[in-house]
Amino acid sequence: MNYTVRDSTPGDCKDIMRLIVDLAEYEKMPNEVKLSHKELEADGFSSNPFFKCLVAEVPEEFKSKEGHTIVGYGFYFFTYCTWKGRVVYLEDLYVMPEFRGKGIGKALMSRIAQIGRAQGCVRMQFTVLDWNKPSLDFYSSQGAVNLTATEGWQLLRFEGEALEKLAQNAN
Amino acid sequence: MANFILRKAEPKDVSDILRLIKELAKFEEMEDQVLLTEKDLLDDGFGEHPFYHCVVAEVPNEQQSSEGHTVVGFAMYYFTYDPWIGKLLYLEDFYVMKEYRGYGMGSKILKHLSHTAVKTRCSSMHFIVAEWNKPSIEFYKRRGASDLSSEEGWRLFEIDKQYLVKMSSKE
Repeated sequence: MNYTVRDSTPGDCKDIMRLIVDLAEYEKMPNEVKLSHKELEADGFSSNPFFKCLVAEVPEEFKSKEGHTIVGYGFYFFTYCTWKGRVVYLEDLYVMPEFRGKGIGKALMSRIAQIGRAQGCVRMQFTVLDWNKPSLDFYSSQGAVNLTATEGWQLLRFEGEALEKLAQNAN
Repeated sequence: MANFILRKAEPKDVSDILRLIKELAKFEEMEDQVLLTEKDLLDDGFGEHPFYHCVVAEVPNEQQSSEGHTVVGFAMYYFTYDPWIGKLLYLEDFYVMKEYRGYGMGSKILKHLSHTAVKTRCSSMHFIVAEWNKPSIEFYKRRGASDLSSEEGWRLFEIDKQYLVKMSSKE
């Protein structure tokens, strides 16, 4: 099956949002998606974009059961490690189930690695849910190391009310 | 003691920032992992496209450290993106020199960052902490942080340069 991996355009945001929701369902957290495709468009395609996104597209004759030709995406941005320098952070990587096993996931990830290297990045980082065995196996096969397991890093956050409270408290 | 000001870092601060990065890395028992130079910090933070933002805590000359430093704390952050909720503020490094702790500097820095997050319409502030670092975990939890590694099972992964190069050459 042919497919192409390309940079997304503002017109892709509805499809990207559809795939974001698909991935959230797979991660058992579909109700957590609050973003609209309009916000995605504003945040990703202005003069100061907060993210970049690649999409995988198939020709019309290979479209999905529901008629979609955008069948996968890789969502990333640049971050910084005070020890080593520039990092490319892979936020989302997803291929629709009916298009798996054809190398699309690998192709998306390779292109992001290439882009990262061109920008002088020394590593790629991402998080994976501990029960997600297919993904854990896939990333291991690409040379990824689980820093939570090997070095004990825990991911924390302040959000919503906790963030507001922190911003208001004197000490 | 402890008059201090919090201000945006300037290019002249890179040597102090690197010094504090190394002190924090030492505390995290990983000081020989710091490969970054002052020049990297300058290019990456104060060029046309900054990869990070930084605030520093500075005391007056008469309160300088035992080694003669007046920049005694820092926080480095950047903006990331969650496709479910939008912009996030990611806190990469946060450190106050030992002799200046207990005066509310850390709290003030965190408050400043949370103000920045709310002002720039970030939904959340994320960061990682080593699981053995109980004082820091308690500090954050007291202020309302949730541990996503425990609560949701997120594991942090990295793919290092050699594998990035390998991946980016396949397609």
